[in-house]
Amino acid sequence: MRKLDDIFPHFNFPTLVLVLTVIAIALQLSGAWVTMLIAGALGALLTRRHRSAFFAGFIGVAIAWTAIFVYLSLTAQAFVIAEFFIGLLGLTGLGWLVIVISILLGALLGGFSGLLGRSVIELVDELIPAEASSKAVPVQDEQPDSESEE
Amino acid sequence: MKRKILNLGISLVGPIALIVMLTMPIGPLSGGLGIIAPTGGVFDVGYPESALQTINLPGLDANVEVRFDEWGIPHIYADAVTDAYMALGYLHAKERLFQMVMQNYLAAGRICEIVGSYAVSSDRYYRAIGLARGAEETYQWYLANRDTNDDVAYVLDIIDAEVAGVNAFIDSMTSSTTPIEFKILGFTPQYWRPVDVFIWTKMMSWSLVAGADDLYREYARATIANNTMYDDLFPDLMPYNVPIMPEQHNLSLTEYPNSAGGFPADPAPPPTASRASPSEDLIPTDKLKTLLSIIDDVILPIELREAMGSNSWAVSSSLSETGSPILANDPHLPLQAPSLWYEAHLVAPGTDVMGVSFPGIPGFVLGHGDHIAWGMTAAAYDVMDFFVEQVNPDNESQYWYNGAWREFEVVDETIHTKDVGDIIFDVKWSVHGPCIDSVMGTYNLDSTETPNIAMNWTGLDITHEILALLLLNKAKNLEDYYDALYWWDSPPHNFIYADDEGHIAITAAGRYPLRTGYIGDIPIQALNDSVGMVSNIPYAYIPRSVDPAQGYLQSANQRSYDPETYGWDVIGPYATGYRGRRINYLLNTSSSISMDDMKKWQADSVDVSAQEIVPYVIDAWNAAGDGNATVQLAVDWLSDWDFSMETDIQAPTTWRFLVDALKYEIFDELRVTLDANLRTPSTPVLERVIKENEANYLDDHSTGEVETRDEILAQALFRALDEMVLKLGSNMTDWYYGNFHVTYFDHLASLTVIGGDPHRGWNTLNRAVSYWDNDAGQWRVVAGPSWRMVIDMGDIEHAYGVYTGGQSGNMFSQHWDDIYDIWYAYDEETEQYGYHLMRFYPTLTSLAIADLSEHFVERMITFVP
Repeated sequence: MRKLDDIFPHFNFPTLVLVLTVIAIALQLSGAWVTMLIAGALGALLTRRHRSAFFAGFIGVAIAWTAIFVYLSLTAQAFVIAEFFIGLLGLTGLGWLVIVISILLGALLGGFSGLLGRSVIELVDELIPAEASSKAVPVQDEQPDSESEE
Repeated sequence: MKRKILNLGISLVGPIALIVMLTMPIGPLSGGLGIIAPTGGVFDVGYPESALQTINLPGLDANVEVRFDEWGIPHIYADAVTDAYMALGYLHAKERLFQMVMQNYLAAGRICEIVGSYAVSSDRYYRAIGLARGAEETYQWYLANRDTNDDVAYVLDIIDAEVAGVNAFIDSMTSSTTPIEFKILGFTPQYWRPVDVFIWTKMMSWSLVAGADDLYREYARATIANNTMYDDLFPDLMPYNVPIMPEQHNLSLTEYPNSAGGFPADPAPPPTASRASPSEDLIPTDKLKTLLSIIDDVILPIELREAMGSNSWAVSSSLSETGSPILANDPHLPLQAPSLWYEAHLVAPGTDVMGVSFPGIPGFVLGHGDHIAWGMTAAAYDVMDFFVEQVNPDNESQYWYNGAWREFEVVDETIHTKDVGDIIFDVKWSVHGPCIDSVMGTYNLDSTETPNIAMNWTGLDITHEILALLLLNKAKNLEDYYDALYWWDSPPHNFIYADDEGHIAITAAGRYPLRTGYIGDIPIQALNDSVGMVSNIPYAYIPRSVDPAQGYLQSANQRSYDPETYGWDVIGPYATGYRGRRINYLLNTSSSISMDDMKKWQADSVDVSAQEIVPYVIDAWNAAGDGNATVQLAVDWLSDWDFSMETDIQAPTTWRFLVDALKYEIFDELRVTLDANLRTPSTPVLERVIKENEANYLDDHSTGEVETRDEILAQALFRALDEMVLKLGSNMTDWYYGNFHVTYFDHLASLTVIGGDPHRGWNTLNRAVSYWDNDAGQWRVVAGPSWRMVIDMGDIEHAYGVYTGGQSGNMFSQHWDDIYDIWYAYDEETEQYGYHLMRFYPTLTSLAIADLSEHFVERMITFVP
């Protein structure tokens, strides 16, 4: 049985962010924020470092949600709704803050799920016997955490 | 390996913390913070409507076409009445589902299920009065009579269609069509039920024409302990009242032998009972006081008595400029967001009706058909009594009736809450009705405090208001109007009427109970069935006027008949009568009355009480004033005033403080020697005391000297000015009425507000029920003309209407408050508020042809089976 890191390719960071942005947009269109956990975890499959997994998830989801909010502000009164929402707290003129917080929360979902995904992958790969892994994917641009840690 | 596991453990912290943060309730955000994600939450509700939609509506017989005009008002064209109502039900839910749910849960005593246990006092209250139980019994009556009464079958079919339409929408809800309030509160609406239709109609009856007046009267009489003073200061018949009915018109007793709704009737008035004396032993004053405070504190969506009011009038062909009757109606109700009303036009075989409906309820409450128009005002007759049951001292589960101990029925009214589980609550019922003091939670206390104040209210009985309305909606003439109102056996309302045959009429429709052994003004003990509501006034003889010689009819919640000429005496409470006096004056002194006159009068803001009382105050100041410059300035404002409550002058502000000061100074008997919590007498009583120079009441008994009227009135001016400085600040030039009198229409869950604008009027035809908000330093207008309608029966295609708010319950829709803007817009030149044309095209084709030139159709829906 092959290790997960032997199966999935390793993307460089910009590519990974781009892929995650697309995945996050597609998943968020389902209307469930919990799918960002899936997005981040998928991103973790495509890198070898915890740090990359976190930041790719964070930035990818942030870009995805920002893009959706741009669309919503043009078509569905996102800023008006945000202003209403912040008004529930007795504040006015800070509607943008709701959107910023939303994007930040989404980014954290993507980032933390990337981190979690990476940890799961490494644990799973640790459980798979080394001899079963016949074709290691060469890593040239950066060392995976698992190797550096060991 | 250990490190990997440790990594995994650490990595779990972030996602778990985020999931908790995004799902756990935060204050009012019961849905959690996750609803601010870009999709699937609050941001989905801002999309515009599609211009062309085809919607599947299972159960339709054929396609239903709907065209929305520029105000979002649907014009529904169907091949069957039930199809039309199914479409209306869908639209009600689509635009107002949150409102429907909130209102019905409130009425049913279930609001804790939505907002949590903090509202438990409200739920206890509504459970105690038993509206949901009364609604269920009413619904069961309809079901039992479906097969034997075609009209009942007709109504039930329509109710079923409305409910099916509502539930079709609930089934189709997506994130973008789910009301934002549900997302915030984390609440999933349940299916609408036929009984929900009856719950809200009971609630409207309760809110408009019920109240604990017997308890208030008892408290006032027991506290004052002086029947003469009580009668002087709290009369049932207001001084200077102009009755609604200029001449009584009876129908044939042969044709209508029963009371309204088919209840038994007695054509002979019963002997007048002597008034019962209030007894401290019957209801201890402390208990009464507590009960009244509970009733006052509970959530009251309709503000009960304070908001009570409505105007309607009609002129005959002879008085009308157009040669046809003209009808006007403006019901005064809470001005909430969204509005109580949803406007629509519905065309189906046998029915062509336009007007306003209650969301979730089939039928049009106010509006017009193709031949008739009608409006309503509350009639305010007291059809609610309180009976103090004699509890068995040895067994508090029993009470004495007809010579034996009977068991109270104990109804399990366990309240389900969103946050703290179930709250056990039982309500005792006697033969007279629910013991409303169950709300005090005094179970297991000694027998004197065991719930035993039973409420007997005709509105809790089986009632047929939906039947009456749906028959009225398809009425074509006066006979149909009589037949429809026969079924209005709810607490009475004045139904004004005009038709294209030239008739005008008004009926104070409702069931009028006949009492034996008591009057019905205060709680009494009825130990057997010889005391109670034993029969009813025949429908044929209830207050009614048709085509009166004076050529006009008017009603403004005042006592409808002259006690000298009408055979039955039914107690109030009634409105002060000032609006009735004003509209009667305007109609009585006018001829060739036009639609513009009607609109102008609906905007009329002349305060008749000021007109009658202020001249006495000015004379008093001139005679007994000390020349104080500040008071003189205020007197100058009043002297230059035409008594219209306008926003750009200071006199109306002064008047509002002055009238309170006058009552304070003159009715010192209640303030000083009795009880500061007593209500002050009505303004017509104040007017009478001043005009008649009633020295006993004018004198300030706290001084030891005898003051004259002029001295007291001058003293009131000082008091008013002191209060004004305290509340408004010392810069008198800023005391413009508009700075302190603003519209404030709160959202049902207090999430937003419509209004915030300076507003004219007060106790005027242009009614503005407002209360002083200490925090805001303003009077907030919370109730008033919820719907203004003017209809010329000779040109029914050009009727006008307007209400406060907009068609949509979605606060991000263009139709959230667009109709408020025209409702609010007052034109100084025409002296009118804005209206919209009630577009009334009998066929889809005629609408389409009109749209070719006028381009008013905003969007279209085709409902398909």
